[in-house]
Amino acid sequence: MREVTSLQTPGSVARLHGATVILGDRAVLRDLDLEVGPGVTVLRGPNGAGKTTAIRALAGLVPLARGVREVPSDLLYLGHRSHMLHGLTARENLRFFSELRGRTSRAPAYPEALGVGGAREARIGDAIGRWGLSADADRPVERLSAGQRRRASLARLDTEWCGLTLLDEPFAELDDEAVAMLRAALVGARDRGDAVLVASHGHADLDEIAGRIYRLDDGRLV
Amino acid sequence: MRGAWLVAARELRADARHPDGFATAVTFVAALILVESIVVGPQVARETTVAPALYWIALLFAAIVVTTRSFDRELTDDAIDAVLALPGGRDALYAGKLIALAATIAAVGLVGGVLQIALLDLTLSLPGHALIAVALGVVALPAIVIIDVALTLRLRGRAALVPILAVPVLLPQLVAATNALGLALSGDPTGSLAWSGLLMAIALVYAIVGLTIAGTAIE
Repeated sequence: MREVTSLQTPGSVARLHGATVILGDRAVLRDLDLEVGPGVTVLRGPNGAGKTTAIRALAGLVPLARGVREVPSDLLYLGHRSHMLHGLTARENLRFFSELRGRTSRAPAYPEALGVGGAREARIGDAIGRWGLSADADRPVERLSAGQRRRASLARLDTEWCGLTLLDEPFAELDDEAVAMLRAALVGARDRGDAVLVASHGHADLDEIAGRIYRLDDGRLV
Repeated sequence: MRGAWLVAARELRADARHPDGFATAVTFVAALILVESIVVGPQVARETTVAPALYWIALLFAAIVVTTRSFDRELTDDAIDAVLALPGGRDALYAGKLIALAATIAAVGLVGGVLQIALLDLTLSLPGHALIAVALGVVALPAIVIIDVALTLRLRGRAALVPILAVPVLLPQLVAATNALGLALSGDPTGSLAWSGLLMAIALVYAIVGLTIAGTAIE
């Protein structure tokens, strides 16, 4: 296995090459080649196809038994669940992630947003408002509904700027309004040339946004 | 270090809102000290070689309780994954938890110590030396327990595995901490400081080893 954080392939923002992931005694990914470039890339496949594992492999959350992982060091991973720590409010969670990330490779494009104190707080407040959480942002996240927690998680798209964004089933638990907002966010990312990988087995309209579509089955591209 | 302080602040803030881990640990320590004292008898329990041993055994299990609770909270909604996916996230998570859990265990230790002193009518000959021993011993505990909880994070047998993994590694810490505290109780400043020096070296080694292997253990 080889892991690098500087990009070796021109035009590619991230890629897995010959990636094999073994969980327990089962190969969940088998010799997978996957490349994410600027724009929206969609990863499709039935349940158990390996979409989540492929995304987690790119995020560095599962080790590769074989193969190469090339990713920028500043990536944003939003998985199946909200990643919000219970006991904190949505605002506190967003602030924590923003502060822990610090500056990213995309920071120069948004210098005002990554400043300390007021600028960061203003950006977080804007994101909370945009995702419809103004009334609930200061309640502990365990008191929010699953859909609200998912909205809070997606607000990180507006508070952290990264070279690569990985979204695993981001439409799950969202109502129609939030689905439309996420779709608009993806269109915006595509138009800016941001690199986004979305794993989803539904929402066929995603394919209209996608610059590239991969289909996975049983850990292989089909 | 900035990341570690951010993780520590996040942990302590969540603890302050939901102090169930702290409350469970204090209850556990109180019950253990009480039961141990009854089982061995008050005369034996007051001996300066026995009382510190009872104290540190109780605190070791309290450390396991609060650390396990802390990671349970991380696993709810997979909060831990978002930290691990950030650059430097693994090291920040380990160091931040070490700071926060040491503070929580210190608070549990303070309550447990006061309770033991009152319950057994102990005389603390050298309170300053006792505080040094407790402070150093408290830092050493989470350094190892965090690694063990991380290693067993998604295993069903975690409750049994953590003590099995932690106790053998923590034996030198338990011996040094018990002696440092025992000699502080009996009024031997030189001996207490000598054991505290050893305890500091042990805490340092544990923390360095923990920082070195934390990334791999969490993965």
